[in-house]
Amino acid sequence: MKRRRKILGYGLGGFLLLFAFLYLFPYIWMTAMSFKPDSEIFSGKVFPEQPTLEQYQRLFYGYQYKDTTLTIPYGTYYKNTIVVTVISLVLVLFFDAMAAYGFAKFNFRGKKVLFWLMIATMMLPIYATLIPSFWLFSILKWINTYRALILPGVVDAYGIFLLKQYMETIPNELLDAAKVDGAGAFRRFWQIVVPLSRPALGTLAVFRFLFVWNDYLWPLVIIRDDSMYTLTLGIANMQLRQGMVVWGNQMAASVLATLPVLILVLVMQRQFLRGLTAGAFKA
Amino acid sequence: MNVRDTVSDQTKFHEPATAWHSLRERLTPYAFIAPFFIGFLVFQLLPIAFSIYLSFAEWNGMGSIEFLGLKNFVNMMEDGKFWNALRVTFTITLFCTIVGTSLATLLAVLLENVDDQLASILRVIFFLPSVTSVVVIGYIWKQLYSTDYGFFNSALMQLGLPPQQWLADPKLALPALLIMLIWAGLGWDSLIITAGLRSIPDEIYDAGKVDGTNGWTQFWHITLPLLQPTLLFVLVTGVIFLWGLFAQPSILTGGGPLRQTQTIAMYLYDVGFRYHKFGYASAIAVILSLIMFVSSYLNFRFVRSEAEY
Repeated sequence: MKRRRKILGYGLGGFLLLFAFLYLFPYIWMTAMSFKPDSEIFSGKVFPEQPTLEQYQRLFYGYQYKDTTLTIPYGTYYKNTIVVTVISLVLVLFFDAMAAYGFAKFNFRGKKVLFWLMIATMMLPIYATLIPSFWLFSILKWINTYRALILPGVVDAYGIFLLKQYMETIPNELLDAAKVDGAGAFRRFWQIVVPLSRPALGTLAVFRFLFVWNDYLWPLVIIRDDSMYTLTLGIANMQLRQGMVVWGNQMAASVLATLPVLILVLVMQRQFLRGLTAGAFKA
Repeated sequence: MNVRDTVSDQTKFHEPATAWHSLRERLTPYAFIAPFFIGFLVFQLLPIAFSIYLSFAEWNGMGSIEFLGLKNFVNMMEDGKFWNALRVTFTITLFCTIVGTSLATLLAVLLENVDDQLASILRVIFFLPSVTSVVVIGYIWKQLYSTDYGFFNSALMQLGLPPQQWLADPKLALPALLIMLIWAGLGWDSLIITAGLRSIPDEIYDAGKVDGTNGWTQFWHITLPLLQPTLLFVLVTGVIFLWGLFAQPSILTGGGPLRQTQTIAMYLYDVGFRYHKFGYASAIAVILSLIMFVSSYLNFRFVRSEAEY
């Protein structure tokens, strides 16, 4: 019986491994395509016969087409995405933590109403605010700015909710003791609550990173100028150039845009998966 | 810190509170939540209020706003494109939640039965699409489906079968989109379900064994009923996600052919940002938000409390 089980387990493992390989195929295609020279893009074979870095070089040094050079400001897209992601992360973690601390460790008038107001809007999709937000930002002349890309995302009720749940588990005695020692509210927050909330902050940081890095709809609405494109917009707009030869180039751009996310998931695998599964039910 | 310090701090703390002191104490929590609520007011509440107002009006984004009453909603009821988008979105939601959740459950259960090390590698592989940009995913699949040089057609031709116009055939475009969506969502769903599987206590399985359950009856009579809250969670979050679907179809097919893959969110974007009918687009946004709000509310009230058995 036991041996039969083991053999069954191996068979199942082999089957799932094969399935995983097929499942990965779109990624294999993306990578293989990015290393093909133009002449092989439409060869009908999956893997390149003469692999080349040409498609990657074009992202940064431009594109020779007859006697003109087409440049793709891919470096700029990358820079924009990094700037927006980093600033968003810092702001969102700080303001989320502050609000979560306010809700978790204080009692005040209107607390319940404000909290439920926050939860209620959390359930609304981005479409509820899309058009007025666009209008607001065009009045402020903030179209094509980092501010427009960053600020709406900083209002993050979900993160506050997640952090509040976690902060409530920090014993009040700890904070009372600090208060007795003369630590003000902000010092208790910064020196006790924030360090102790590190696991929850880490989970939130990963989620927000993925969201901002991969976001498409909001940049699509608010950014019109090529020099302010984020990676997702840049990749989407490469399609419009030159019709056909763009396949390899677009896949090279996709590989480089996916790499940071891939590294993040592999490095943070444990915390990430744990945070995800815990967050799903505790939240 | 020695005893004397503590005592002196204690006395300081017990000093009679001045009016200023107590006011400051009372305002502290508001100071902590203020930055959020200012942003919340500017970027959420006011836009929502304006959105609702616009849904009863006509506006091209430049001139004056003309109040129409319920006309936008009446027009919507007679707008074939709106109903088409509603039908497409509903089809996608229904198919992806049912088939997607079933496949994810199967995968999660199978993964629990292989060697731990192998399972954790496999889980990362299946999870990759959940962290990859939808734009990247969309363009990869667009190439795979391409009529002239795509992978699927060259595979078909090698097998001696006729190539298909995957994304240009009105009958095939929606199934093509559904396959991509199922592929992309599998890892996420199965991970959540894995968490659900692990929260089922071993004792229940042991008790089942005493009563003579085998693999199948165990799954059917123990695992599935106890997994119900998790499955409900996956279903409801899936419904919310799918009702708002935008980027994936707009990249893969652009909504075509013949609007066979145009979702409500895509129609809203078209009406608003391509034709500048902001009033009508807001009315669509209100309806879409209502649908999603109700789904979220159900999730919040019902599933979250159920999950803590």
